[in-house]
Amino acid sequence: MGRARTIARRTFLTGAVAIAGGVAFGTYLVRRDPQNPLADGLGPGAATFNPWVKIDAQKITLITPHADIGQGAVHMQATLLAEELDLDLGQFDTEFGEPAPAYHNTALAGEGTPYRITDQGVVARGTLATIGGLAKIIGLQGTGGSSSVADSFDKLRAAGATARETLKLAAAQKHGVEGADLTTKSGAVILPDGTAIPYVDLAADAAAIDPVRDVPLRAASDWRLIGKPTQRSDIRAKSTGTLSYAIDLQLDGMVHAAVRLSPRRSGVRSFDAEAARTMRGVVDVFPITNGLAVLADNTWRAFRAAEAIDVTWQDAAYPAEQADHWKAVEASFTDAHLDTSLRDDGDVESALAADAVRAEYRVPYVAHAPLEPMMALVRVTDDQVEVWTAHQLPRVLQQQVAGVTGHKSGQVVLHNQYAGGSFGNRLECEYVAVAAEIANQVRGTPVKMTFRREEDFAQDFPRPLGMMRGAGDVDSGQVRALALDIASPSPIGSMIGRLGLPQAGPDIQIPAGAWNAPYGIENFRVRAYATPGVAPVSSWRSVGASGAGFFIEGFLDEVIHAAGADPLEERLRLCDWDVARGTLEAVAEMSNWGESLPEGKGRGVAMVESFGVPVAEVVEVTDTPDGIRIDKVWVAADVGTVVDPVNFENNVQGAVVWGLGHAMNSEITYSDGMAEQSNYHAAEGMRLYQAPQIMVRGLETHFAVRGIGEPPVPPAAPALANAIFAATGMRLREMPFNRHVRFI
Amino acid sequence: MKLRVNGKDHHVDVEDDMPLLWVLRDELGLMGTKYGCGIAQCGACTVHMDGIAVRSCQLAAADVDGDITTIEGLGTPESLHAVQEAWVETQVAQCGYCQSGQIMQVASFLDMNPEPTDDQIDAAMSGNLCRCGAYPRIRAAIRSAAGKMAAA
Amino acid sequence: MRILLIAGLLAAAAPLMAAEDQVVISPPAEGSVNLETGLAAWDRIYEVASHPRCSNCHVGDSDQPMWSGPSYGAPRPHGMNIRAGDSRIGAETIPCRTCHVTNETGGNDMPHGAPQVADAWQLPPVEADWFGRTSDEICAQLRDPERNDGRTFMELADHLGHDVILHWAWNPGGTREAAPYSLQEHVDDLLIWGVAGMPCHFD
Repeated sequence: MGRARTIARRTFLTGAVAIAGGVAFGTYLVRRDPQNPLADGLGPGAATFNPWVKIDAQKITLITPHADIGQGAVHMQATLLAEELDLDLGQFDTEFGEPAPAYHNTALAGEGTPYRITDQGVVARGTLATIGGLAKIIGLQGTGGSSSVADSFDKLRAAGATARETLKLAAAQKHGVEGADLTTKSGAVILPDGTAIPYVDLAADAAAIDPVRDVPLRAASDWRLIGKPTQRSDIRAKSTGTLSYAIDLQLDGMVHAAVRLSPRRSGVRSFDAEAARTMRGVVDVFPITNGLAVLADNTWRAFRAAEAIDVTWQDAAYPAEQADHWKAVEASFTDAHLDTSLRDDGDVESALAADAVRAEYRVPYVAHAPLEPMMALVRVTDDQVEVWTAHQLPRVLQQQVAGVTGHKSGQVVLHNQYAGGSFGNRLECEYVAVAAEIANQVRGTPVKMTFRREEDFAQDFPRPLGMMRGAGDVDSGQVRALALDIASPSPIGSMIGRLGLPQAGPDIQIPAGAWNAPYGIENFRVRAYATPGVAPVSSWRSVGASGAGFFIEGFLDEVIHAAGADPLEERLRLCDWDVARGTLEAVAEMSNWGESLPEGKGRGVAMVESFGVPVAEVVEVTDTPDGIRIDKVWVAADVGTVVDPVNFENNVQGAVVWGLGHAMNSEITYSDGMAEQSNYHAAEGMRLYQAPQIMVRGLETHFAVRGIGEPPVPPAAPALANAIFAATGMRLREMPFNRHVRFI
Repeated sequence: MKLRVNGKDHHVDVEDDMPLLWVLRDELGLMGTKYGCGIAQCGACTVHMDGIAVRSCQLAAADVDGDITTIEGLGTPESLHAVQEAWVETQVAQCGYCQSGQIMQVASFLDMNPEPTDDQIDAAMSGNLCRCGAYPRIRAAIRSAAGKMAAA
Repeated sequence: MRILLIAGLLAAAAPLMAAEDQVVISPPAEGSVNLETGLAAWDRIYEVASHPRCSNCHVGDSDQPMWSGPSYGAPRPHGMNIRAGDSRIGAETIPCRTCHVTNETGGNDMPHGAPQVADAWQLPPVEADWFGRTSDEICAQLRDPERNDGRTFMELADHLGHDVILHWAWNPGGTREAAPYSLQEHVDDLLIWGVAGMPCHFD
């Protein structure tokens, strides 16, 4: 064991670190020698080459620490490892691994910083971390901000390459041949005489030697897997009902828990649980933080008993009525609430004439509502807490759970699971903390706590509501000035506050997608205001850009219209980043933009850069007598390298459906301090019959390799609004759009 | 009470009004059928009763009056049903949580209507919510499955 | 297999009638109801027929049931793109009973769940076209043997007494607003209207 640990410690991928962002980001310096978590518990004859590869005499295990929330992260990570390790898909197992410093996310560190993606200068990259960001949390080990590919791309290929070369060295020593004469293929080292030695047969030998370091990565032209359509490793299980999500796990002696938590996030004023206690299968009912827990022998019995509790709640700490939430947003456009002013090109005040185009835009709160309701299975003993759930921030979760149960963080064991969706919801820790609090009351007994869907909606921390006040001006058929003032509560501040961390610094997410828009407008200003005192909010697929992207691209369309220019041509003229321009040119070509359309049809275009990825979309709608039908969407996104074209297309299509569906019909509103929407009947999103044809093109000119889970979301809503304007002449400045138009 | 599920008889001691969904999951341990909404809005709990798709969150245990088939009884990873084959080949799933219900709905739908029009697909499948938005692939996989079943 | 499935869809479970659903059919004496009383009875019948609990499914030759009523805002077609098809039971696409399961055990109290009765859920005949129709239009339809399945008012009353889907309108569960009056009052009104000669305001 000591030997293995020593080897593991000495084999951290220095080359990979340098490539993948081994630069100092404030205090979040990438550790150069993190302990390999796989070294613990390694059996005799088993080898681990780095924190991502483990081989013993029976099997090869690849560790894929980025959470799989449906975006295909496991398959993506395995593909990168297998590419350099010369494994065929299907030759290995995957595990999420345990929370560990080695799985630091180095790609996100720049995400909270006030520098445009195009600004890669030393100064920009060297003065990071003054602005509080999600990176500070996620950087510990996290999945979010569409960063999994960016974090993994070099690091995991390097991990595969060093493991491969070490196995070759082991084979060379064992068989007395020159390492240079060896090759690898399909999970085996091939000797000069053609004999194939499976990696598993070399595990014990490899464990006994110093691993090879600093292995150059293969050229793109040599890739077998990257960029090729492959079959996702989880697809068969997900097509046969055999993939176990956390909600499907069963432990011996397990009890089921349901909760009634304050829908006002407040305390309990009074309750009567007598009826619930006497219901069949109910084991216990007891108070927990902000509510009550029911233990029963079956999920449904627990649900029913929770519903049967008669309870009254304390008042909410935020306004009881939705109108007052909006008033708070309206009142925050003041110097006192100014959060950032990240874009101020030219002289906006002078450039705006008295008759400038002016408009106000709004986006509502929206719930995450992944289809697997929030739940966790927890077993607390005196010296350990075991958690089975799907979560995006394993190390943060360890700390939060430990705080609830009184254990040390290192005593919390997270068995991360495939998630039945997340959309940002699994960055939150509350649902696990609730389960841990209940399980802590019945130490030794595993407790599976499941939110009823109604509880899931009530307890969701939604996407922030927000407003934009815009002004723009034109001259000689061109956009000359654009000024956007954006106000919303800070999603990152709200999240950090719940984690008990200091909420220092502004939140770049409030104007995300707007301030960094790759447009060289002569006079261009974006100011962001942080609204205090409204409902707690969170990250929702694409975070700030889901609102601010709509603000800028909807309003810019109005200004372009006032200029009498073509929406796509004028955007191309304004665009000052070649990578972004490429996406606009691609959708123009794909959609044959400019062709004459039949009566009643209209097209809109929008382009937003979020998480470093520019995405352009053209939406085509038809104004029918029964309402608006969304017919087609053309999408182009540039992520540098498309790792898996099938998964890329699926993610893009899903993100477009997400962006369109919620823009059409979804919001959360508060009344009496409680969310008024309790289930999918009131927050539907898109249904299959409403889904347009979605044509996708992945471009690969970007200087960096980036992720695609979120970036196609922000352009969808404004492209739809702009298309509806083109078809009907009606400007939609407020989501959900079905407040103003009917969709079929 | 007695239930026949995937060709096997089971005796369960549950309340008359316990939804079949929870009998399957928590009493019989058949976890392929999912809970999503509990009110027939999402379709994740879809199973067959005598071959007809039914939302198991809506069907009280005492109202079960036919043979139940769940996703586990439709096909297995080693022996896929034609719809599952199409689902694998088309790579429909993202998070995958809704897919048991989608597949059960499609299997019943194609059994009754083997050559559906696109409009009929849109009508049959819009009660099954996919939060990941895999709808374009669901449509493609249904057409592929219909083709496979016609050829079989 | 296919034929069996569709047969299965159509097969109505033997309707169970709870005690409170028992309807007494006791018409006023022949000639005892004047026109004014008959028209007043008709107005109450129209209140019932045009109430969302009834009219949402009486959609005429459309195969899309409607969602309207106090909790729905503006009337709109049934969500999820539901089409009952020519079969009126959704056999071509998704059977009504996939969600509106046949319920013999009571309950039906789930807010926002799919309404359930002890019978196979389905749309009414095309001729019984009530959604958005005027009092005169529905009145004319209801007394027209060509469009009411050849029923006399006594047979209409008897039909009301036996069709458990109709009974659901007064016991819709799940916090839904019930149709006005009661089932018995509605039957009584139908009998009053019938004895008055099934008058319509346009006569």
